[in-house]
Amino acid sequence: MSAPATENVYLPKTAVLERVVSEIAEVKTFYWHFEDSAEQEAFRQFRPGQFAQVSLFGVGEFPTSLPPSPTEGETFFTVRQVGSCTSALHRLQPGDKFAVRGPYGNGFPMEDYYGKNLVFVAGGIGLIPLRSCIVYALKNRNKYKSIQIFHGAKTPKELMYVPNLHEWEQTPGVECYLTVDRATDGWNGNVGVVGSLFKKPGVQVPVENTTAFVCGPPVMFRFVIKDLLEMGFSEKNIVSTLERYMKCGVGKCGHCCIGVAYVCVDGPVFTYEQIKKLGEDI
Amino acid sequence: MKARILDRADVLKIVDLLRQQGYEVVAPFYGRGRDTFFDTVTDQNRDRIQIHLPNPYYPPKRFVFPHIERLMKFERSDGQIHIEPVYEQPKRAIFGIRSCDLAGIYHLDRFYLGREFRDVYYENHRKNLFLVNVVCSDVDRDINDECFCVCTDTGPAARDHFDLQLMDLGSEFMAVAGTPAGEALFADPIFRKGEAAHIEKRHAILDELRKRFKTTTSWFSATVRYVTQGDILEKTWEEIGNRCLECGGCTYVCPACTCFTVSDRPIGPNEFERVRVWDACALSGFTRMAGGHNPRKAVHDRRNRRFFRKLAHFFIQRELAMACVGCGRCAAVCHGDIGMPSVVEMIRRATGEVDKHERASH
Repeated sequence: MSAPATENVYLPKTAVLERVVSEIAEVKTFYWHFEDSAEQEAFRQFRPGQFAQVSLFGVGEFPTSLPPSPTEGETFFTVRQVGSCTSALHRLQPGDKFAVRGPYGNGFPMEDYYGKNLVFVAGGIGLIPLRSCIVYALKNRNKYKSIQIFHGAKTPKELMYVPNLHEWEQTPGVECYLTVDRATDGWNGNVGVVGSLFKKPGVQVPVENTTAFVCGPPVMFRFVIKDLLEMGFSEKNIVSTLERYMKCGVGKCGHCCIGVAYVCVDGPVFTYEQIKKLGEDI
Repeated sequence: MKARILDRADVLKIVDLLRQQGYEVVAPFYGRGRDTFFDTVTDQNRDRIQIHLPNPYYPPKRFVFPHIERLMKFERSDGQIHIEPVYEQPKRAIFGIRSCDLAGIYHLDRFYLGREFRDVYYENHRKNLFLVNVVCSDVDRDINDECFCVCTDTGPAARDHFDLQLMDLGSEFMAVAGTPAGEALFADPIFRKGEAAHIEKRHAILDELRKRFKTTTSWFSATVRYVTQGDILEKTWEEIGNRCLECGGCTYVCPACTCFTVSDRPIGPNEFERVRVWDACALSGFTRMAGGHNPRKAVHDRRNRRFFRKLAHFFIQRELAMACVGCGRCAAVCHGDIGMPSVVEMIRRATGEVDKHERASH
């Protein structure tokens, strides 16, 4: 039968795994590209904060955020091994084939933040989706005012993207603050939750004309939001990206609905003002 | 819309005409007991087609959105992966679809073919679908205690979305064409022009019919307002949730439910297929993520979800109708008696009470 005129949005395209880099325990970064170079070119037009659907042969499909910035040449995912699909991805070797479709979702409106201060607050692997925005903002450094990065992890061994963190710490015009819940392995930096960094001597978080990006586990999210609101942030200047069980990524399967929003097409990026109105647990 | 008259004895000739045009015709039949179902018409079963019968529990929705549908095939050989979409484009006619189920298909049209992405699989099923609507006019056989299409404004006689509509006037039937394809059938000599008396008879029958529904007091407008404004107390949702057995039955019989899950299954040593399967928001795994976190853990949160999705003004605006067509199947299958009419009533009463007290205290 001849192919129908309507594009099949469920159809993934074959991708090749290039190399794998271990980040922290159970979390690896997978560098890949589409077999078809035109497909690769089209995909690379994604916006920071969008996501993709990854298919593993014989196992299934899962949604995952896109940690690279579109300004970078490479495409990669950073994935924690947690269920059957992510485990199958972790078993792949360089050269193995899988399939990808996307990019999906609204992404962060990075152009809307031109001329603003950016504050990134990431707990644990919450840095994965925010990495895209950070790299994008640094590439377009003159478009933004001050840039601050706050990243917290349980232990020093669980800090994400360590080479990037070092690079950001060295970059002039960027403030990068790290913290851990438990100081091990000779850690001599800050100890405490990520919100404790805001009150550290010498840290001055700008509240006026600032957008705060928050991403992390639900508990961390709640406390950071509380801190930011107390500091005087308005709800519409706090943005986050939500995750949900998702099957289609295109607003049809119904799994990712929160209130009136489909996370896959109306999100995954929402302001805290919107998240509050959704009226369900996040 | 054009209308014609035909003899009672000629009604099934419409099925023959459609079959001659190459349609696979599905029509309602009685099972061995009191059960009814839609099945493909053959030369053998053609004479057993029922015009009047209780609407089958298993909705004709499955002819546009199958309960299990193959999406694509994956094949692995020599380290390569070949992905091949699987398309079905049947030329099918549903004979005897009720007005409520017709509204259901219209709702699915808005959902699957509207918004950002069109669903190609749904489109393929829908493209060549011919719909012959039968007006529920036999009070004893067509209409049961749970029917409440008069409350959702979808029946008993559909006003639109059919190719051909048939209405029993006694010894004759009235046929109304809703599309050019339906009108084309009028070329056959079984159809003749009607008279003013036929239209009067139709109106008289419909007027009488509307009085014969048991459930006529579902106050949707108030409930839609309460749901939309978030006026419903957590206590009311809990009461509804406590009665939910989490079987998912309401979803599986619903002509307007759209959710599905996707699953990959092996069909050979190096081959597997991706299928989509109807899913239900009542089931606890519906929102559970890998790793175990479930944002919608409590039963009443999930029940809340079903009714919110169906009744909130936001979705009504987007899909041009609420996602309930008044077929009453959920009320008929629910063991906890929290089908749509009951829930509308529970919400209206509980929230109406609160409303009254609040007004009194001001």
